[in-house]
Amino acid sequence: MSAIDFSDPATIAFLTDALTAASVAGLEISAPSGQLRIVISGAGEAKIGSNRSVQPGSVSPVLVRAPLAGYFCVAHLSGSAEASSLPRAICATEVLGFIRVGPVLLPVSAGRSGTVTRLLAEVDAMVGYGAPLFEIEVQS
Amino acid sequence: MIEIVETGPFNTVQDLGRPGYRDIGVSASGAMDPLAVKIGNILVGNAEGAATLEIQTFPFRLIFKRRSAFVVSGTDGNPLLDGIELLPWCAYNAEVGQVLELKQPPKLARAYVAIGGGVDVPCIMGSRSTSLRGNFGGNAGRPLEKGDRIAVGEEAGILPIPASGLGVVEPAVALLEFFPRSADGSLLIRALPAGEHKLFVGDGEAFWSQTWRISSRSDRTGYRLSGDPVVPMEIVEMRSHGVVPGVIQVPPGGEPIVQMSDANTAGGYPKIVGVIECDLWRLGQARIGTRLQFVRSSYAEARAIEQAVASYIEDVRRTSGQIKRALKAMA
Repeated sequence: MSAIDFSDPATIAFLTDALTAASVAGLEISAPSGQLRIVISGAGEAKIGSNRSVQPGSVSPVLVRAPLAGYFCVAHLSGSAEASSLPRAICATEVLGFIRVGPVLLPVSAGRSGTVTRLLAEVDAMVGYGAPLFEIEVQS
Repeated sequence: MIEIVETGPFNTVQDLGRPGYRDIGVSASGAMDPLAVKIGNILVGNAEGAATLEIQTFPFRLIFKRRSAFVVSGTDGNPLLDGIELLPWCAYNAEVGQVLELKQPPKLARAYVAIGGGVDVPCIMGSRSTSLRGNFGGNAGRPLEKGDRIAVGEEAGILPIPASGLGVVEPAVALLEFFPRSADGSLLIRALPAGEHKLFVGDGEAFWSQTWRISSRSDRTGYRLSGDPVVPMEIVEMRSHGVVPGVIQVPPGGEPIVQMSDANTAGGYPKIVGVIECDLWRLGQARIGTRLQFVRSSYAEARAIEQAVASYIEDVRRTSGQIKRALKAMA
């Protein structure tokens, strides 16, 4: 039996119709090739999120988001560390940046080890809650 | 409860000191960097004057005997928790059995460990500070020793610290415009002329114009400064008079002495200047060998700096509380 391609629009359409017909609210499938999430809203419309890995089975990108609204800083304000060039390998507890509110700093870490590939927010700019700050590639 | 696993000499329990008893010969004691004590305590949720550990000789290690919030403030070194590097000026949670380690900081002299609930040693004459000269207060009136087990107060009502920590832009950076740095790297300390300033030639020119060095004969009681001696125009016999931290006296040898946290309560040497109170924490963080230059200040300037520092402290208190409450609500 061949593997189902969950990124195929025809497969997604079929699954969406099947979920709607069965009055199922949604589904989420994680496979080595990527992730598929379908949420059926009340008005019969579906929200579909598909996330395909760059290298199937080995690496998946993850977004590190702002835990709070505030000013985004990448380096510690004491000047002890400078923003490193990307991509950069990181460990789970490493502080990638801060959300600054007045004189208070909320450290932001990835929570998992991997490689920071992209900076997604403007440094020293105001960011909202949940704003993407970094993209990291996580070794699975 | 915490247990001291490793310590150098002269590390003590200190809070903001024991003022009000100089008239009976009791030094005020208290932290050499009171601003670090206040910010550390505020970040963990304590009253700003709760007792902390003042660490001035390294390496230092302690083990947490119960889950605790803690901050290492004042220092420019990165503390280690179970070998993992943390940020200074940042509150974290420690689990039972975790070991906090402080290594020699790169440039500054002292680190302060504030713990949620505060270091719970007996309060004597209104303070938990160790009086090394009087052998009382703090942990049995003496410096910390390996194997000491020290109680920590209850954390009742303290908001949780976010898992990734909660820090501050440290005072030297946040208040940079009020604490200028010199071009040649020497520490600029503001001072006001004191009682016997007029005894010195040329309005104390030799004192104000040279770069002094903190000599090795310096400790929590006072810093002796090395440089070209400054001598008074006439030798005066003075009765002993009260002195406070920040007073700079000139003994007959001409090399000034800055009174620090464990200052004598009285002295008879002529007083040339007094360091403004808001610059004392910077002196408290200056190591032996640090080069100093004194800058003539004014009451208005001293007051303006005091207000800026007070506003920074209040901002840290208000904002850190708001962030903790917001994150707790979202959790």
